[in-house]
Amino acid sequence: MTAIEVNQLTRAFQSKRKAAGLAASARALFQPEYNTVEAVRGISFRMEAGELLGFIGPNGAGKSTTIKMLTGILHPSSGGARVLGFTPWKEREKLAFQIGTVFGQRPQLWYHLPAIDTFLLFGKIYELDDRETQKRIDLLAEAFEIRDLLETPVRKLSLGQRMRCEVAASLLHRPKLILLDEPSIGLDVVAKQHIRDAIRRMNQEEGVGVLLTSHDAGDLEALCKRVIIVNHGQIVYEDKVSNLKRKHLTTKLVEVRYAEEVPANFRLDGVEILKVGRYGVKLRFDTDQTAVDSVLAHLSGVGELVDITISDPPLEEVIAKIYREAAPASS
Amino acid sequence: MKKYLAILKMQVINNLAYPGDFLGRSVSIAVFLFIFAGLWQTTYIIAGTASINGLTFANMMWYLMMAETIELGRPRTNRIISEQVKNGEVAYILSKPYNFVLYHFSFGLGDGLMRIVINILVGILVTWLLAGPPPSLLGWGMALITMVGAWILHFCMMALIGLAAFVVEETNSFELIYQKFVFVLGGMMLPLDLFPQWLQEIVRVLPFPYMMYAPARLFVKPEFDLFLQMLAGQWFWVGVLVVLLALAYRGSEKVLTVNGG
Repeated sequence: MTAIEVNQLTRAFQSKRKAAGLAASARALFQPEYNTVEAVRGISFRMEAGELLGFIGPNGAGKSTTIKMLTGILHPSSGGARVLGFTPWKEREKLAFQIGTVFGQRPQLWYHLPAIDTFLLFGKIYELDDRETQKRIDLLAEAFEIRDLLETPVRKLSLGQRMRCEVAASLLHRPKLILLDEPSIGLDVVAKQHIRDAIRRMNQEEGVGVLLTSHDAGDLEALCKRVIIVNHGQIVYEDKVSNLKRKHLTTKLVEVRYAEEVPANFRLDGVEILKVGRYGVKLRFDTDQTAVDSVLAHLSGVGELVDITISDPPLEEVIAKIYREAAPASS
Repeated sequence: MKKYLAILKMQVINNLAYPGDFLGRSVSIAVFLFIFAGLWQTTYIIAGTASINGLTFANMMWYLMMAETIELGRPRTNRIISEQVKNGEVAYILSKPYNFVLYHFSFGLGDGLMRIVINILVGILVTWLLAGPPPSLLGWGMALITMVGAWILHFCMMALIGLAAFVVEETNSFELIYQKFVFVLGGMMLPLDLFPQWLQEIVRVLPFPYMMYAPARLFVKPEFDLFLQMLAGQWFWVGVLVVLLALAYRGSEKVLTVNGG
C-alpha cells in the first residue's frame, strides 16, 4: 500500500529584495521588487506504508517545505500529492487524524506545563476516550523512557528529554504515518540514540511509517531503509541506504601500526598517503582504482604488522559528494 | 466540541502556572480606576452637579469598571497568531484536527475568562471603596449577558486582524488603530450618553458600541428596551463578522507561508 505519492510538486515563494541603505529602503516602499524563490521544483516520489524513509539535504534544500505541503499546511504552486489517500491541503483536518508531526526546532508541548497535560489535551483533540488515552500514554512512556519526566514542566526538561516527549506526543493517536522534521537537531549522541531506538521500535511494533528529514547522516544509517536526497528543491538521489553505501562508499581509510620503524621513503602507487608516523601509516584509496588485496599485500611487506584498521569514510562525506555532483550549473 | 473545551481548560491551567504574574496583571485595573475616580470627581465638582446626562459619579465609576474589565479581558488573538506565524508554531496548530479559528476562540476564552474574573473581583473592591455599592442584580444580569456578545465581537475583530499576519506577519499597528476606535466610538473613555446627539446617531450604526458601551451602560442603568435593542444589534454584528471571518480564513489559508521552510 502506498502511504505517500507525490507528483511534480512545486512551491515558489515571493520574497522582497532590497539593496542596502536608506535610499534603497525608501525606494522599496514605493517600488518593491520581488524575487521568486523556488523552494521545491517538481519533486516526485512514493513511500510505502510502514516504510522508514529518509529525506535529507542541506539547509534550504526544500525538505521542510515539502513536509509542510504533505501535512497540508502549505498549498503547492503546482503538482499533486496524496497522503494516506487524502489531498493534504484540501483535507487537512481529516488527514490530521492519521498523521503525526514533529518540527524539531519548535515545541508543540505546552512550555510551562508538564508534558502529561499536553498528552491529555491531545487525547481530547484526537477524540480518543480517556481509557484509550491513558493506555497510549503508558505504552509511550515505556517506549520512550519518559515515565519520570511526564510530570515535570516542559521548560525544565533537557533538550533530549523534551524531544523524546515531543516525538511520543506525536504518536499518541496511533498515526499511520509520522513526519519528523529534524527530530535530532541539537541533541547529543546518547539522546539521539535514545530517540532512534524508540522510533524504530514503534515502527516495528505498530507499523507506523516514518518520513524523516535530517541533515545528520547518522539518523539515516540508524533508522532508514531508503533515502531521498534533495538539493536546490530537486531530488538528486533516491535509493536504498545499503545501495548508497555500496555504490558511493568506494573509498577506504586504512590505519596501520608496525612493530618496527616505518621507512622514511614509504610510498605506494594508487594510494593517497595521509600521514606517516614513526611506527604507523594512515592512507586512503579508491577500491575502484586500486585493489584491496594489493594494498594489503604491500603493507604487510613493509614490516611486521601490529595492528590494522580499515574503515569507510563517514556517510556525511558521501552525501556531500552527491550534492556537489548534482549541483545544477545554473545555481 | 469536547476538544475546544479541553483547549479552554488547558489555557486556564496555563494561566495558573504563574499565579504571581497573573495576580500582578490585575493591579492595572486598580490603577486605572484610581485615575478615573480623580478625573471624574473633579469634573463633577467643577460642573457643580450630581448628574451629567443622567449619570451620577457612582454610575460613571461602575460604568468605567465594567468597560475596563472588558478591555482587559478581551482576547489578544492577533498577537498570538502573529507570534505563531513568526516563530513557525502555526505549523503545529494547523496540523491538528481542529478548526484553526475555533482553536483560537477557545484559547482566547480560556485566557479571557481568567482575566475577567480577577478584574471583576479587584474592580468591585476598588470601585466600592471609591464610589459606593455596586448596581442592582438586574444590572449584573444584563451586563453579563451582553458581555458574551461583546467578547465574541472583540474576538472576531482580533481574529480578522490576526489573519492579516499570514500576509504581513506583524499586526500590532492594526490593533492599536482598532483599540482607539473602541476607546472613543465604543464608549470606553466616555459613555455615549455624553456625546452630542448627532454623533450618538452615527456611532450607533457601527459595531463598536456593542463591544463596550452595551454591557457597561446596562450594568449601571438596566433598561429593558435598551437591553433588547443592544442584544439585537450585537448579534446582528456577530453574524456579519463571523461571515467575514470565515471568508477571510478561507482566503488567508492559501497564502500562508510558514517561516523557516
